[in-house]
Amino acid sequence: MIRLGPEHGRLTVHTGRAGAIAKVGHDLDLEVTRWEATFADDAVALTADPASLRVEGGSGGVTPLGDDEKRGIAQTIRDEVLKDGTIAFTSTRVTPRDGGLDVEGELDLLGVRAPIAFGLELDAGHLTGRATVKQSAWRITPYSALFGTLKVADQVDVAIDATLPKESDDG
Amino acid sequence: MVELDHSFQTGKPTDYNWDAILDLERVIPCVEGGKVLERTSPEQAKAEIKVKMGAMSMTFKGTVDVAERDDAAHTAVLRIKSRDTGGSGYANADVTFALNDGGGTIHTAAQISGKAASMGEGVVSTVLDALIKDFTQKLAAI
Repeated sequence: MIRLGPEHGRLTVHTGRAGAIAKVGHDLDLEVTRWEATFADDAVALTADPASLRVEGGSGGVTPLGDDEKRGIAQTIRDEVLKDGTIAFTSTRVTPRDGGLDVEGELDLLGVRAPIAFGLELDAGHLTGRATVKQSAWRITPYSALFGTLKVADQVDVAIDATLPKESDDG
Repeated sequence: MVELDHSFQTGKPTDYNWDAILDLERVIPCVEGGKVLERTSPEQAKAEIKVKMGAMSMTFKGTVDVAERDDAAHTAVLRIKSRDTGGSGYANADVTFALNDGGGTIHTAAQISGKAASMGEGVVSTVLDALIKDFTQKLAAI
């Protein structure tokens, strides 16, 4: 079994925009800075600390995001969306294939469990993967502002990009 | 200048609606983020509205006056003059109510400058439209 954490790579989240005035909002690049994952040929698991989310950057909008705005957005996501809820994935089936793993499992997001599937690519000790989380499937109402004219898109992309440790932990 | 027209239904008698729209202590909080800071006369109040947009927010402070009223026709104009407390912008509006049985119409003529206006007239119009629709729903509940 291989254990991974922030010292090995990055767990990032990308959000888009929706609503009648979507053009004035920002697509956001977020990073979860406290997380732990375990990988084996037959099991994959990941937990993430919602309080560790920070805003890396944003694109679009009328003006670029400043540092205060990034901190404020992260705080808003923590306080009004994630609310210190659980973020935990456990696989139910892992299928090894050339160059990686196909993973199916269950994501517990803020106490609601729903199935999710994604692929992990392995290349010379480098692991990458991307999953799509449709917030409404976890009974999350996408964040909206200004009377619903500006919203976070329902679909959120989550990505992992890590370098596997040279010595694996068999425990 | 952004001009918008809305209609609303409260299901209540005209006299009740008339009293409600002229009672600034009741009508101002029907604007999301709006509150009365000081009732300076029966027909004027100092007020603020805080518009939240995710992590960012803008607060406008100013006055709301009953600028015109025709008790027989049940029409009134509420005049809003406010400034953005965090910048040099302003938001002014004349909101004309014309009541009929169980509801009425609202004509809004707004002038907005500064950060909010920099997003473009289309954006201002869209947000203002949504704000007024929300207002009419809250108005129906008072």
